[in-house]
Amino acid sequence: MRVLLLLLLLSPLGAQPVYDLLLKNGNVIDPANRRNGRFDIGIIGDKIVRVAQGIPAAHARRTADVSDYYVTPGLIDIHTHFDAQGASLNLHPDFHALSNGVTTAVDAGSSGWKNFENFKKEVIDRADVRLLAFVNIVGAGMYGREVEDDVGQMDPEGAARMVKKYPQIIVGIKTAHFQPPNWEAVDRAVKAAELSDSVVMVDFHPKPGREYPELILKHMRPGDIHTHFYGRLIPQLDANKKVTPWMWEARKRGVLFDVGHGSGSFWFRIAVPAIQQGFLPDTISTDIHKNSIMLPRATLINVMSKLLNIGMTLEQVIERSTVNPAKAIRRADLGTLSEGLIADIAVIEMQRGKFAFLDSGRGKLIGDRKLRAVLTVRDGRVVWDSEGLSLTEWTNAGPYSNYK
Amino acid sequence: MKHSFGISLILAAIASVASGQQYDLVLKGGHVIDPAGQIDRVMDVAVSGNRIARVAQDIPASQAKKAIDVKGFYITPGLVDLHAHVFGYSGSLFPDSTSLIAGTTTVVDCGGAGWRTFEEFKKTIIDTSDTRVLAFLNIVGHGMIGSKYENDVEDMDPAATAAKIKQYPEILVGIKTAHYSRPGWTALERSVEAGRLSNTPIIVDNNILTPMGRNTRQKVLEIMRPGDMHTHTYNDRHLELVDRITGKVKPWMWEARKRGVLFDLGHGSGSFMWPVAAAAMKGGFPPDTISTDLHSSSIMLPQSDMPNCISKMMHLGMTLQDAILRSTVSPAKAIKRFPELGTLGEGRVADIAVFELESGVFAFKDAWRKKNLATKRLQCIMTVRDGKVVFDQNGLGYPLWNTAGDYVVIP
Repeated sequence: MRVLLLLLLLSPLGAQPVYDLLLKNGNVIDPANRRNGRFDIGIIGDKIVRVAQGIPAAHARRTADVSDYYVTPGLIDIHTHFDAQGASLNLHPDFHALSNGVTTAVDAGSSGWKNFENFKKEVIDRADVRLLAFVNIVGAGMYGREVEDDVGQMDPEGAARMVKKYPQIIVGIKTAHFQPPNWEAVDRAVKAAELSDSVVMVDFHPKPGREYPELILKHMRPGDIHTHFYGRLIPQLDANKKVTPWMWEARKRGVLFDVGHGSGSFWFRIAVPAIQQGFLPDTISTDIHKNSIMLPRATLINVMSKLLNIGMTLEQVIERSTVNPAKAIRRADLGTLSEGLIADIAVIEMQRGKFAFLDSGRGKLIGDRKLRAVLTVRDGRVVWDSEGLSLTEWTNAGPYSNYK
Repeated sequence: MKHSFGISLILAAIASVASGQQYDLVLKGGHVIDPAGQIDRVMDVAVSGNRIARVAQDIPASQAKKAIDVKGFYITPGLVDLHAHVFGYSGSLFPDSTSLIAGTTTVVDCGGAGWRTFEEFKKTIIDTSDTRVLAFLNIVGHGMIGSKYENDVEDMDPAATAAKIKQYPEILVGIKTAHYSRPGWTALERSVEAGRLSNTPIIVDNNILTPMGRNTRQKVLEIMRPGDMHTHTYNDRHLELVDRITGKVKPWMWEARKRGVLFDLGHGSGSFMWPVAAAAMKGGFPPDTISTDLHSSSIMLPQSDMPNCISKMMHLGMTLQDAILRSTVSPAKAIKRFPELGTLGEGRVADIAVFELESGVFAFKDAWRKKNLATKRLQCIMTVRDGKVVFDQNGLGYPLWNTAGDYVVIP
């Protein structure tokens, strides 16, 4: 059917451009399709319709020569905070996502199942970036210690109902910041996920009587996500900086480990030895908020750069910020450049030189490569284009009274 | 307990003076551009607490608790963005994550709130931001919340607007009128009246060509007062600035400038057009103040943040020094906050920006997404706000992770 449609569109060759947008000759990395090489990407409306070599520029209304860059699926950041209600740590979703190549951002429990609909109305429905969400098991969401420690706020049925009401937007349940030394928050979040057939993202503070190995080996289910796993309080390394056995065991069980950089959860002294021993993150994410974005620069493209300079390959970094997070939130329609899917695309420059990166505690790593998002396509539209690759030179734009 | 804490503070102070560390921070070896102090050369800048303590050559690193080498970079006063949107308007952004990363330490919200909504603005944004947030109050009591409200003459109350300004003189710097699409001058006249009652300037965004009984000459020569500002100068819908055929600057623009009316850039997503800006700059009509009109749309494809606006003006012939003047001293003066803001004068608040002037090929886009290729770009690499390093792109102020031990947060 798709092929037929394409042939129909292509038949009056020469006269009419077929594609609305053509990304020409980029170095395409699309791990889901095991594609890594030079391809052109043709877009009609909001869909990718063709990934091939040698598509003529004449067949497109607008062509961007991206031969100096990598072309990847639009990046997916599964740990963000873009909820307008928690104003003091708040960020604007479109700018901070799209200008960093992120076309899908998942808010990680800023709002709870009681106030999610307000978040949806105020932020999600108005954003250009695809904004999804984990709803907090705490009904009121991240409203401070007192609320977040209140087990009475944690209603699995209520949370599950909200997930089922918005299956296109809500991908699972978040639990975070819970201080009392018991399992109530985690277990209720898991219960809500079971009731709604979704996944749990856990932010966890180990306490005496509530130990980390028990979390990842018993309480979490395969497919559930532990975020902040390079955190300072998580026993992922032993005293000799060796990755602890329960990490490998939990990974084998299918528990997923997510970066969630934030302003307290990414430390070179932990990430470097862990990655050297082969314990890579399953998914790369930012925990982006007003504090993490300033000195640690926890944008997704920067977190990817940090991991690249620690020693992960570019392919590994792209895989863990596109197809892996898409799978983790059970959205196989995202995170790839397959023909027929939505045109969410990142064009990325690999800069070479000397660059500095700070971790959550502001320790510095010097690296020789840095990734930068130069062009972002969301829903088929160019929404970010720092090099003007898709844009007309002003001297060719006609008289300015005709500027459109 | 309190007592001993006080004593230990005093002891710490004595210890740091005894060890010669009378400064908290010194930025060493940068090229300082401080137009107000007529400084344009390599100098060191020392900070004590939240104040500029000293600007001089060769301040020893040993005299500061923290010394940062910024050789090869420019040091300027923290930029003052006269036209930003951080409240009320549907496209408004949060200030810190969009301004401090760009070297902007003071933003002036341009009419997002009116006198009815200002208290909420203050509580939710102004009081919670690290950026210094000032504001022009909208002449519309409800603020910039859509055309139904913004065209409602009944909600334009000069007395109530002036009263709110007098209540918060440390935050409110004047009055904004914008988006008025009915015939005549009512919105502008009421703004001027509020400005007269509160002894503050107004800033004007008002279309001239489409509707209706309005023209530039009357606006800038008869209605606006000296010291009032017109924003969106390089748009051709708000001001008849350059003749479309000859490209010459119109006579009333020169006359208005002579009268003391100020013309502000206000880039935005519709108000910076290469043909207009190029013709105006060629004709010798730069904006008095450089500002962004930064909001959710202008920050994306046009990238109208302050360093980009400065870079665009430099590409059209403005010197870096002149552009810094028009992004620091000039806006501070326009809102009557000079020399409190906009300078690195000793004793002034330590709001500082550090920039790299990059060489290469850069595409700058106007508000209409047309590109212009240039060879220089100003890039913010560090920002100091109120004496604290809040942004440090190159990690210049921090040690290598593998030499720093089991740090938690390195100061």
